[in-house]
Formats: sequence, C-alpha cells, structure tokens
Amino acid sequence: MSSSSTSFASGGGVRPWTSATSVSFSGKRIQKEMLDFNANPPADCSAGPKGDDLYHWVSTIIGPPGSPYEDGIFFLTITFPGDYPFKPPKVVFMTRIYHCNIDAAGNVSLDILKDGWSPAMTISKVILAIRAVFTDPDPYKPVVPNIARLYLTDRAKHDEIAAEWTMRFAR
Amino acid sequence: MAAREDHETPLEKLPRRLEEEMKDESMLSPGFRSAAALAGWDEEALLLASLIVEDTPVRESRHKKRPGLLSKTPSSTHSIRKRRSQRQSPGSMPAVVLCLDDEEKGDQEDVGEKRREEGDDGVNEKEKNGEEGVSVEKDSGNGVPCIDRLREELSCAICLEVCFEPSTTPCGHSFCMKCLKSSASKCGKKCPKCRQLISNVRSYTVNTVLWNTIQLLFPKDIEVRKKAIKTKSPTSEAKIKTSLERRIRNTITRNARTISHAPRAITRDDDNNSSNRRIAPNQSQDAALALRLQREEFMEAFGENDTEQQPRNISVYAARNNLRAMASRAANFRRRGRFPFILD
Repeated sequence: MSSSSTSFASGGGVRPWTSATSVSFSGKRIQKEMLDFNANPPADCSAGPKGDDLYHWVSTIIGPPGSPYEDGIFFLTITFPGDYPFKPPKVVFMTRIYHCNIDAAGNVSLDILKDGWSPAMTISKVILAIRAVFTDPDPYKPVVPNIARLYLTDRAKHDEIAAEWTMRFAR
Repeated sequence: MAAREDHETPLEKLPRRLEEEMKDESMLSPGFRSAAALAGWDEEALLLASLIVEDTPVRESRHKKRPGLLSKTPSSTHSIRKRRSQRQSPGSMPAVVLCLDDEEKGDQEDVGEKRREEGDDGVNEKEKNGEEGVSVEKDSGNGVPCIDRLREELSCAICLEVCFEPSTTPCGHSFCMKCLKSSASKCGKKCPKCRQLISNVRSYTVNTVLWNTIQLLFPKDIEVRKKAIKTKSPTSEAKIKTSLERRIRNTITRNARTISHAPRAITRDDDNNSSNRRIAPNQSQDAALALRLQREEFMEAFGENDTEQQPRNISVYAARNNLRAMASRAANFRRRGRFPFILD
C-alpha cells in the first residue's frame, strides 16, 4: 500500500532547485526598476545605467534645500550584485562630500545597504534614504568620527565646512 | 432598479403587453409553454426563444428576463409557478460568471431596458444588446478601471512583477512563493516588507484565493511566466513521463490484486484501491471494473489504439491472461505475509 505511494514519490525524483536568482532574474528586476524610476522619479534625483550594462548605474542627487549641501550636485555610482535583489547594491559617492556617514572614498555607511537590506527595497528607496541622510546625519554610527564629533559639538562650524565643500566639489 | 422601474411603468404600457401576450399565445403551442414553465421561463423569455436562433446562450435570455420580470405587475399564479419551477430545477440556474465590471454592465442593462420599453419591435435590438453584453463579459479582465493600481497592489515586492503563486506571510504580506523562499534562504527568515520574523518558509502554501484572483485579472502575464518556466526546465517533461509510467505500473499491479481477491469474495479492502470500491462489490462487478481499468491502462501505456478495431472479447481475453499472471504474483506476495489482514 505505502509501497505504491513511496515509489510514486521517488519516481518524481528530487525536485531540481531552479535558482530564482539567475542573472536574468536580477536583470529583469533591474530593468523593471529602471522603468519605474523613469516613470516617477523622486524629486531632485536621477538614476540610470552608465552604458549598456544594466548592473552599473550612475545617479545624481541634488543637495536638499535647508541642508549645508544645498544646491550641490552629487554623483554616485551604483553597482548591482549578480544576486540582486537578495544582496544590496553598492553605492559609492563620486563627488567628495563632508559628511560623517560618508568616508573619503565615497562609501556610504547606511544600514539599509548592509544588514538592513531587504529584497523589497528598490533603488529609488535607497536614493531617498541617502537624500534623507543629507539632512539628518547619524553621528552615532559615523565612518568619519571627526566630522561626527564636530557635528555634535559645534553644529554651526560643521555646517560651514560642509557648505564650503559643497561649493568646492559639488558645483 | 426595481423601484425605479415601478415608477416608470405607466398604465399605457398595459395594452401593449396584452398584445404581446396574445402574440405569444398564437405562436406557441401549449405543450411547449408548459415545458418552458417547468424550465422556469416566463412569457418574454419564451417569445425571445421563439424568435432568436437556437445558438443563443441560455444565460442571455435569463439575463434579459430578470428586469422584465421585475417591471411586470406580478400576477400571483405566474410568480408562484415561477418560484416553484426554480426550486425544482436548481440545475438549470445559469453559471455565475465572475463579472468585475458590474457597473458598466448595469448601465448597459439599463439602456437595454429603456429600449425595450420604448419600442415593441425591440427584439432585434435586444439581440444586439445581448451580443454586447457577451463581448463585455469576455474581455472583463481588461476592462477593470483601476487595473494599474491593482497590478501594483498584487505585484511581488521582490521581483516587482505580478505575484506568481503568491504565498502570504503571518504578517500579511504576499510574495511569489519562489521569491519568498529565495529571500528566506539568502536574506534571513524575516519578512522582506516589515522585517518581522517568519517561521518555517518551507511549509508555506500558495494563497489560493489571491492566486486565483491574479490569474483572473492578469491572464496574459501569468501565461507568459508559465511559458518561461516551462522552457527553463526541459527535463520536467521527461520526469512527468517516467512518473506516469510508474503510476500506470502501480495501478496495474493494484488491479491485479483486486482481481485476485475477487474469486474469494473478499469485500474488505487492502490498499489505495478503496476509493474504487467504496460499496462492497460482488465478484463480477469487481472483476469487470478491474478489467476495464486494466484495458484503459494498457491502451495508455502501449498505445494500442488498434485494439479498438479488434473484436472486443479478444483483447479482453488477452488482458485477462495478463491479469491472471499478475494476480498469481500478487497472491505470492500475500502468502509471504505482506497483507496479513486479508481474509482467506
């Protein structure tokens, strides 16, 4: 009795593991994101593939008004991993910026780009988060401790330097 | 709608309706009328049926009949007969069609009614309306007004496409089953949307209601994705074939067992075959069933379509011989004590 059912089950064999994260899967997803982004881009932002490669994007963020980065144009490169969206994209600032969460090499220390990543995030959300960090730096998780210290102790001085850097590098 | 129509039904309509009914009387034989009454048709539907060619779906005549029924001042005998006949024949009720653009169709119905009330020669017009109604029903999937919003709502946050075989987390978020499983294995067991901890993803099942809804709303998308999956795994077809063969073999052996029991008049069941033999069968029924199944299996397995041309009893004879051989094998099994609960 059970012999028939077990043999039937084994007859089916082990179900092949078809990986959902094939290159085409991530490619499709990135393509969709591109279309969505172009359909309704976030304010003062732009993003798109650098060339033919879908996995390398360039993005610009205009410094939000009210922050010391106002009117600066910041260029970023976004690199999507092969198993995107299950791994976060890599975001690097190409424009120098005086910010306690962005190091000299342009690496952004943002929770959602590391452990806080979720496959339900999209690149437009990431860019919005980066934009939010412009107005609200997180001095308690800094990558540049000096800037964080200055931010906490002498906010006016910090803002002054940041605005100066923006003037110098981001225009 | 009914109330409004009651207001709109003026007295001047009465003579016209009488005329109509007289027309009915003259055109239809009393036998036909009573038969139609049994089927739950009223006069108007009858008139329609007599005028419209027979390939018009039943649903339509019902469709048009209902508003007519409501607008009529109900004669008590008629309505009672109607109700009774409906109760008697629930099977004749039209199949419910999922109609997502109720409002649109309601409008069309209204138009149809107005036209009918305007003119008596509205039969042709009605026919036209009916056709319109059908066409609306056919492309109802695309006629949903907020389809873009629906697509957004019903899409998976991971692949950003319409959910394919959606699975819902305890926190109430739905993703493609595959996407959710990949996410759990690669990003940890938390909901991609709200980061709530999600337990054993392996046990997750497809949210049937949601899946059916998606299939109804986006048939084209789903078709495309199904095709993509098929082309991705060409081995699956071969696997299905082997599993089918195995199943056939199993059924054959099972049938053989059944037949071996039959001569001993055993009414107890041994295995999966119970579904075939709910009612305790007598010997000949049992054997006949087994033979029939056996024949079908053979046809399937070996593609012996020509057996149909052969005289029936020859193939039956061959099958029986085969069965005998297998039955003896099965009997040996049993003697070895595999099925100790079988009464000998």
